[in-house]
Amino acid sequence: MSVIAKEGKKLSLSEKVSRLVTRLRDPEWRRYGGLLLGGKALGIGLVLLIVTVVSGLLFGHVYAQTGTPEVKAADVVNPVNTAWTLIAAFLVFGMQVGFTMLEAGFCRSRETVNVLMECVVDTCLCGLLFYAFGFAFMFSHGNGFIGYHWFFLQGAPATYEATGVAFLAVWIFQFAFADTCSTITSGAMIGRTGFVGDLLYSVAVSGFIYPIIGHWAWGPDGWLATMGSDGHFFSSLGMGFHDFAGSTVVHTIGGFIALAGAIVLGPRLGRKFKRDGGAPMLPHDLTIAVSGGLILWFGWYGFNPGSTLSAMDFEGIGRVATNTTLAACAAGLTAMFWAYMSSKKWDAGFTTNGFLAGLVAITCPCYWVSPTGAILLGGIAGVLVVLGVELLEYLRIDDPIGAVPVHGFCGIWGTLSLGLFACGKYGATGPTGADNSAALKGLFYGGGTQVLVAQIIGSAVITVATLAVAMAVMLVVNATGLLRVSEEGELYGLDLHEHGISAYPEYVISALGAPSGMTQELPLAPAKASLATTKPLSHIAS
Amino acid sequence: MTKVEAIVQPNRFEQIKDALIGLGIEGMTVSEVRGHGRQKGHTETYRGREYGIDLLPKVKLELVLEDKLVDPVIDAIIKNGATGKIGDGKIFLYKVEEAIRIRNQERGAAAL
Repeated sequence: MSVIAKEGKKLSLSEKVSRLVTRLRDPEWRRYGGLLLGGKALGIGLVLLIVTVVSGLLFGHVYAQTGTPEVKAADVVNPVNTAWTLIAAFLVFGMQVGFTMLEAGFCRSRETVNVLMECVVDTCLCGLLFYAFGFAFMFSHGNGFIGYHWFFLQGAPATYEATGVAFLAVWIFQFAFADTCSTITSGAMIGRTGFVGDLLYSVAVSGFIYPIIGHWAWGPDGWLATMGSDGHFFSSLGMGFHDFAGSTVVHTIGGFIALAGAIVLGPRLGRKFKRDGGAPMLPHDLTIAVSGGLILWFGWYGFNPGSTLSAMDFEGIGRVATNTTLAACAAGLTAMFWAYMSSKKWDAGFTTNGFLAGLVAITCPCYWVSPTGAILLGGIAGVLVVLGVELLEYLRIDDPIGAVPVHGFCGIWGTLSLGLFACGKYGATGPTGADNSAALKGLFYGGGTQVLVAQIIGSAVITVATLAVAMAVMLVVNATGLLRVSEEGELYGLDLHEHGISAYPEYVISALGAPSGMTQELPLAPAKASLATTKPLSHIAS
Repeated sequence: MTKVEAIVQPNRFEQIKDALIGLGIEGMTVSEVRGHGRQKGHTETYRGREYGIDLLPKVKLELVLEDKLVDPVIDAIIKNGATGKIGDGKIFLYKVEEAIRIRNQERGAAAL
């Protein structure tokens, strides 16, 4: 009982525990404790009972007084659609984690911090630019080429157009898309881009190139979106350009800006290409890269199904999610088998880029194709991505993570595939459900070439315009001398040169440097002493 | 027999290796090492605070050669490893008393 004598003082946790143990050995204390616990349980039970009974009474009372409230359709539809759009927006934002991991894993350890920083800072920049004018250029009314309302989100309505989704929910959803496009770009430029150069071209990508070219296809009055209708461009075609979730708008634009960047930068120092007897530089962490790819796949469930902006089109959401999954599955397998035929190895890098290629390809047609169509067009994307990597290798373009084949080439394929695989059953999504009165029918389903022609025009226009503008931007940034780091900085590693620290300062031997206070903990520490005392035995040479 | 121990810049290693293989060298042992010479490293910053990087990464090559190959090997290392800047590394030579192949106990030049 000596412990109890200390009562009144503040006891430490261990003292309290030992006091409890002592007391539990005493039958009188045990009885007392049991009584105390029983009383408390009884009290809680009573309180719960009262809460249930009283609130039940109150609720019933109120309900009886007012009768059934009158609920308009918009009172249910708008919140439901907004909640769905926000869930999708958060999933799409999660793709940033996937991109960061994918790019970090596929790069060399010496440029990992640089990759992390580029992905984070691209996101921050993109948010502010999209608030200031990106969203205005892309999604507001204006002319066919650019929107010019809602700068700094001023003068905006409560809900966006006819979607019934809160305006700012649409903003954050579309911001996440813009951020995706901006991050794709950095993937092909890893390992040699100066940080300031990265900031400069990122401003151009998120603030101007993506929003303005995106307006053509996704703006309320974009000239490719309205193409084929009366009084607009090419009205005799009778068909507009369709890109459900952005194979072209997000992925082809991102991929071709990346291509321009990789061309203007040139390869990393020491990168030898296949036909010069070389091979790609090895990735430094495939665990991170493949996990990042899978996180991207998960995020795609916001990217594609969320693009309905409508939970009311519940059949559409289910179909899009399933098509997205099946295309990725097929593409992962075809990429793996295609790569196996030439290398006789089951390649993790190609398989990961394969399912990503399938996801990119299904992004445009996901609403209008059948599950079987999704498998076929995804499977083709898996082969295309391997061929695309070979093509870049042949052209001596250094794309460390494969951003150009995955997003650029398969974005084009996905967009065109709608013209082939649209199954003729589905038309347009809408805030209260699908409107299938004007269903899209592709070539393989007997719909003729109308959809295909519209897709070819849209894809070609956007691809060429993006490449031209992006080349100009990259050349201008390059002319300032800020796009590519110095040779010394590149050999030293971008992490230390630009950011002052390597990603693994403690435990990877080939990482440069460690904080000096830590060197004693490193297994290499004794080497310092022995190196210092080593003297060249010059007499042996003479 | 002589042991050549060369400490070189990591980004020069591939070129040196190719040159040595071109000379007909059959075996080499390579390790990633860290160290410093007269320069004693330099400083970087993390969260705004400076810290020292006093041990820089290098690649250490070890080759045991018949004496007639020593000079061509040294020439090849210097030719392919020199950038003219601080940190290009050093070459050390040691006399080797005996070499024994563990598999069949061959000795001397036959074991190399």
